[in-house]
Amino acid sequence: MKTPLPSVREPGRNSPVLVPVHGRTYWRSLDELANTPEFRDWVEREFPAGASEWTDPVSRRHFMKIMSASFLLAGVGFAGSGCRRPVERIEPFGKMPENYVHGVPQYYATAMPSPGGAIPLVVKSNDGRPTKIEGNSLHPDSNGGTDRYAQASILNLYDPDRATRFAANGKNAPPEGAIDALSQISREAQANGGQGLSFLVERNNSPSRLRLQQAIQQKLPQAKWYISDSVGLDIHQRAAGQAFGRPVKPLHLFDQADVVVALDCDFLGSETDVQNNIRRFSSRRQISKPGDALNRLYVVEGLMSITGFNADHRLRTPSSTVVQVAAALASELLKDGISGLENVAKSAGVDPKWIASCAKDLREHAGKSLVVAGYRQPLQVHLLAHAINSALGNNGKTVVFHEVPEPKEQGLVELAQALNAGNVGTLVILGGNPAYTAPAELNWATTQRKAKRVVRLGYYEDETSVGCDWHIPAAHYLESWGDALTSDGTLVPIQPLIAPLFGGFTQLEILARIVGLPKTDPYSIVRETFAKFFSGQDGEGAWRKFLHDGFLGNSAAQPVAVNLNQGAVAQAIGSIKTSTPSKENLEVVFHRDYKVDDGRYNNNGWLQELPDPITKIVWDNVILISRKTAQELGVKNSEMVEVKLSDRAVRGPIWVQPGQADYTLGLALGYGRQKTGRVGHGTGFNVYPLRTAETPHIALGASIRPLGQTYPISCTQSHWSLEGRAIIREANLKQYEQHPRFAKSMGSEKLPVEAPLYPNPFDQLKQKGLHQWGMSIDLNRCVGCSACMVACQSENNVPIVGKDQVHRGREMHWLRIDRYYTGRVPKDAQQARQRFFETFNTEAKQQFEDWIDNPQVVTQPMLCQHCESAPCENVCPVNATSHDQEGLNVMTYNRCVGTRYCSNNCPYKVRRFNYFDWNKRPIGKFYLGPFGHRKDDEWDLMKMVKNPDVTVRMRGIMEKCTFCLQRIEQAKIAQKTKAGASSDVVVPTDSFTTACAQACPAGAIVFGNLNDPESRVSRLKQLDRDYAVLEPLLTKPRTTYLARVRNPNPEMPDYSEAPLSFQEYEQKMGNPFEHEEGENHAAHGATSEKSE
Amino acid sequence: MASGASAVKAGPGSPVTIPQPPPELERQPLVANLRGFGWISNRVASLSEDPAPIWWWILFIPSVLCLGMLLFMLTYQISTGVGVWGNMHPVMWAWDIVNFVWWIGIGHAGTLISAILFLLRQRWRTAVNRAAEAMTIFAVMCAGIYPALHVGRMWYDWWLFPIPNSNSIWPQFRSPLMWDVFAVSTYFTVSVLFWYMGLIPDLAVMRDRARTRLRQFFYGLFALGWTGSNRHWSNYEKAYLILAGLSTPLVLSVHSIVSLDFSVSQLPGWHTTIFPPYFVAGAIFSGFGMVLTLLIPLRSMFKLEDIITMRHIDIMCKVTLATGSIVGYAYAMEFFIAWYSGNPFERFHFLNRALGPYQWAWFFMVGCNVLVPQVFWIKWFRQNLVAVFIISILVNVGMWFERFVIIVISLHRDFIPSNWGYYRPTIVDICTYIGTFGLFLTCFLLFIRFLPMIAISEVKGVTPQSDPHHPLGGAKVNEVIPDAE
Repeated sequence: MKTPLPSVREPGRNSPVLVPVHGRTYWRSLDELANTPEFRDWVEREFPAGASEWTDPVSRRHFMKIMSASFLLAGVGFAGSGCRRPVERIEPFGKMPENYVHGVPQYYATAMPSPGGAIPLVVKSNDGRPTKIEGNSLHPDSNGGTDRYAQASILNLYDPDRATRFAANGKNAPPEGAIDALSQISREAQANGGQGLSFLVERNNSPSRLRLQQAIQQKLPQAKWYISDSVGLDIHQRAAGQAFGRPVKPLHLFDQADVVVALDCDFLGSETDVQNNIRRFSSRRQISKPGDALNRLYVVEGLMSITGFNADHRLRTPSSTVVQVAAALASELLKDGISGLENVAKSAGVDPKWIASCAKDLREHAGKSLVVAGYRQPLQVHLLAHAINSALGNNGKTVVFHEVPEPKEQGLVELAQALNAGNVGTLVILGGNPAYTAPAELNWATTQRKAKRVVRLGYYEDETSVGCDWHIPAAHYLESWGDALTSDGTLVPIQPLIAPLFGGFTQLEILARIVGLPKTDPYSIVRETFAKFFSGQDGEGAWRKFLHDGFLGNSAAQPVAVNLNQGAVAQAIGSIKTSTPSKENLEVVFHRDYKVDDGRYNNNGWLQELPDPITKIVWDNVILISRKTAQELGVKNSEMVEVKLSDRAVRGPIWVQPGQADYTLGLALGYGRQKTGRVGHGTGFNVYPLRTAETPHIALGASIRPLGQTYPISCTQSHWSLEGRAIIREANLKQYEQHPRFAKSMGSEKLPVEAPLYPNPFDQLKQKGLHQWGMSIDLNRCVGCSACMVACQSENNVPIVGKDQVHRGREMHWLRIDRYYTGRVPKDAQQARQRFFETFNTEAKQQFEDWIDNPQVVTQPMLCQHCESAPCENVCPVNATSHDQEGLNVMTYNRCVGTRYCSNNCPYKVRRFNYFDWNKRPIGKFYLGPFGHRKDDEWDLMKMVKNPDVTVRMRGIMEKCTFCLQRIEQAKIAQKTKAGASSDVVVPTDSFTTACAQACPAGAIVFGNLNDPESRVSRLKQLDRDYAVLEPLLTKPRTTYLARVRNPNPEMPDYSEAPLSFQEYEQKMGNPFEHEEGENHAAHGATSEKSE
Repeated sequence: MASGASAVKAGPGSPVTIPQPPPELERQPLVANLRGFGWISNRVASLSEDPAPIWWWILFIPSVLCLGMLLFMLTYQISTGVGVWGNMHPVMWAWDIVNFVWWIGIGHAGTLISAILFLLRQRWRTAVNRAAEAMTIFAVMCAGIYPALHVGRMWYDWWLFPIPNSNSIWPQFRSPLMWDVFAVSTYFTVSVLFWYMGLIPDLAVMRDRARTRLRQFFYGLFALGWTGSNRHWSNYEKAYLILAGLSTPLVLSVHSIVSLDFSVSQLPGWHTTIFPPYFVAGAIFSGFGMVLTLLIPLRSMFKLEDIITMRHIDIMCKVTLATGSIVGYAYAMEFFIAWYSGNPFERFHFLNRALGPYQWAWFFMVGCNVLVPQVFWIKWFRQNLVAVFIISILVNVGMWFERFVIIVISLHRDFIPSNWGYYRPTIVDICTYIGTFGLFLTCFLLFIRFLPMIAISEVKGVTPQSDPHHPLGGAKVNEVIPDAE
């Protein structure tokens, strides 16, 4: 409560004569007593005489003269001697923008265009500079999760190697020249109706672009459109169109499906719209009590994929034989039968029981099941999947179809034909990098030159730019206006957060100039398109709301009913050619890379250094091969081989991949670029030279030849086996129902003491904390997509260190995804002995051990566990790492000396040490020490991506996950500001979260206040499945995990009572349930009695 | 002494008969060949008075070059970062701490010889204690480089000292690294003091013998005005005893505390209560190994066979055998406890030592530390200088591998298999390590060149003739055997 301030008499105002005399009068000076005129004057004046004004005009002007002269001289002196500071233009807020508070970030809604449509985003902006990308959780079809690419795309914005100039024939040119060239193209095209004018674009569902495309088609009917689809993700739409006889696009509702069969379909990893697939799929892996249902995932695939990681039943078969498995499934499920199916099915070579049981499961869940085919599979497999879904009545339930505009564009092959025929006058390339990604036989680099004029809008000056008359730098999506539709058809804006750094153009602008629109600025174009979508009254208000929310409400597409075109399916089946790879006839599978996509993220350091979710390899691609095949062919990891396919060959290193089908080679796209930036230079090898238009995904007839060289490969996780340790705990659904507390029974048998000898000082400190932060990670929902890793890197200014340093084990990721393979458990004594010794082998020998052939895979995000009794803290000699009262293990960078003892004593090994000055020195120059300087242009842009709320660490200090301390503090400050004088300073329940949790599309990571019983994390920690990793060490982690529950089908031939990791554990440690009886009675008798 | 001698002589008329002890009980004298006082003074002092022998230069020049390499390597590391070494995640400590512990361990023999053996009245120590103490000091200097410079920001090393500062932050007294700072710095200070104390009477000898003004000045300065008066000797002996008493617990404490760096942590392979005694035994083991390595060539090159006799070598071999066996017992006990505890991580770790990727290091360790010294049960090996020299080097190699095994193998595969890695040193690691030999040898060679490497006054005290109760003791010696030189 405030007490009123005592009123003070102002001496200047209250002239003593005015004071009424009450009682005694006191005087302060003799002057006052005398009340002389001088005193009255003194009282009147504010300052003593001589101090209140500068009365001498000459001296003041003289002073100004002298000062300006000396400043001028100083300036001349500095300039003349060359000793001056670099010109740094600062732009002070002469007028403070409305609602702007310096240092407080602002958030804008926008969207990132993706092959599947767009990802709705909210982007954080610090003083006008975008710094962090997050998903837009307001969007009706999003939970705020994103994928790896979206998280990392902000680094592309500040890529010092992006195209920064307008170039004519490779020489610098003024932007006006490009504009003139465009208007000339426009004039010529208007004159001849677009004859010879060809556009090459990437698939994109922007309504504005569609509108401009239609305008061009009307005005320039002769102009041709071609699509550059480097990966081949278009097939879903194409197949649906063929299966149902109308232009539709499927949208898979994995949250509606009880049983999912993925036919070489990596819908959780490399298909389109992954973040939504993960969200939907993971929502069905949520389980909180016995009796809850789980979905079941069958995966048929050749290469190990993220989807394969999460399979309940994974059928390992070469990609080229997936069609046979699909046919076998179809022949079980399609009542009316399709002739020829049986024959195809017969050659599958798969355990018929697998097919029959899987089909039975699908049939039992008719209308609640889903069969999906992957982009690598031929059209026939897609058609079979549609046929099965139609037969099961899944259409409209687990898969819905949206009408899309009829695709009129042709492909690169047709464009190459036109070019070779000399039919292309002007080629406008608006997307893609065909010189790198085009099918090898098109010989694009030379074919492209056959056009009379090539104008290219490109984000990089890359392979395709070489043969261009004009190269126009493209604006990043964070610099440009645009629009797009998300996969559910909702309209989302792409609004810029920053003016184009290098004056880049957008596709819309180029098209508008060619079509000759009066208004060519993208903003007007997008706004005009929006007006067509919005038919209501308050156009301006709606537009503002659209930009504010980041989507147009209720604009989602309506599903359309479809009928299977039986004929098309039957015809497709007739054209199936079956073949099986063998040692002499190897199969090559080209796959979209989890990190660099088709090569477009090749120069993105975060993605290059992100461990591949499957192999954990960084900065390279490899030739994936199975153990058996490698042994038969006499090759081993890191060995360089030449892969030969007909008369084409590429060279790359071998990598044995557990769970890969035999006689299959997996080749990732996107590496070995000839012309890329400083980051991507020299990474991996290019597989496109093997890829032809006829066999863009799966090609047979390859052979390999060892070259007798080895190639160093950097891998962040060298050990594959979990070694039967209870670090990841999992059980089958049935086991979980019998032993709901199985996670607690595992791994804690060796708990040394019930109460520690000494009380933990933190237990008292804890009483003072308003909040107690904690995290829960649901291993059942985590699919291992690694979006959280990039989000953490972006949020926390985590540096990249380069391939060589990763090879030395010095990667800096605060959050990593551990991936373990669990294999067969030895049956007899000899196998057991062999397996025992294998444990101690060097990591190089794992590739020869046969347990890796058919592994189950488990993944686990691992970050600082924020132990209440943290082993790192008591060994730090300088108190640099300590505990705060809210339960955070905090790291004081300024205090850290760098003894590294904390890391040695951390059982989770989640601390990372700055062995070099990663920020100050460029990659490859770490060893030059003070001589290794980063170029200014590189650094100028690089530092813009940094989060200003997080310290950029120097060399020699330890760093680790902070639970996004800066976010916690911001939330606390915001709440304190709001609370004012009241005591309402507790941050509202779940009002903010960490960067990893925010980015997780699966919702597997939950962060919050443990003091708040209502918070999600508190409730999750009450679940039976909650366990702490390495509990017996009594570190009392604040991060706990929810054990994984698998849902295998007991009728399947590969069914086992318990997951393989559980069996490994049991074999080493004994059955965790053996002594559960007694313990249960003591601790939680009621639950176990019921379940027994 | 003269009075004692005359007392023996002044018998009641009848000649003194001395019964000869049976030969098997006869002790060999500590200074052989009945060398007189003058010979001892001349012999020891001549090492620094005569021109340096060729072999000295042959050793000194490469040593200085190695020292230069050390300085270069450290400059490189300080300016560039700890990353120039092979240290990695998860092996955050590697050669830096291996070498630190190894050098500290070597330092142990010196103080043990000079302090504990002094208190235990092991008179044979006098022949080797000076050189051993010098070895201690130089070894601790080499060791000190590592903890001081292996940290990420070595310019903040002073934060480890409890110095009041403007931030009012104290070091963390719970951290064993903090204890290390105290243990090592105290050990170094006391060792230097002890060594210097013992040097004073000999520095006075050097001063008195000095022929140049420069030598007179410096030896005189450091001799602190020693005159050899009774009062000086009396104070000296008291001070020496006190310092010996102070050093004795330090011998045990330093390596115990260094071992706590490991045993306080909870890493399997480190978290062991056996560490303090096991480390002390290992340190003495390696220290004696190093003393033997240094003294065997020195005694022959400086012709000190009469002072450092085969009996000395024999005793030191026996100490090596004893401590080596203790170390072997500790290895066995670690395995037993790992099995007995039932802790799966401990069990895995110890099997991984013997079967894992660093198997070779473990075999080196067991072979050199446990098996090789067992040959010292046989007298022939103890008497064969070549064998002793080779074994003493193997002991040092073995002890280096012991530290490597403890530090690197424990770290490279711990609790969570995804962290597992394989450590490899870099060329900078290797050159820095070789460079520390440069520092050590430079210091040691300068020491033998300018300071009496044998405690002249103490050795004289253990000659037969200085013992009044010895048949040859006292003044009569001069009558029996004239001074050799």
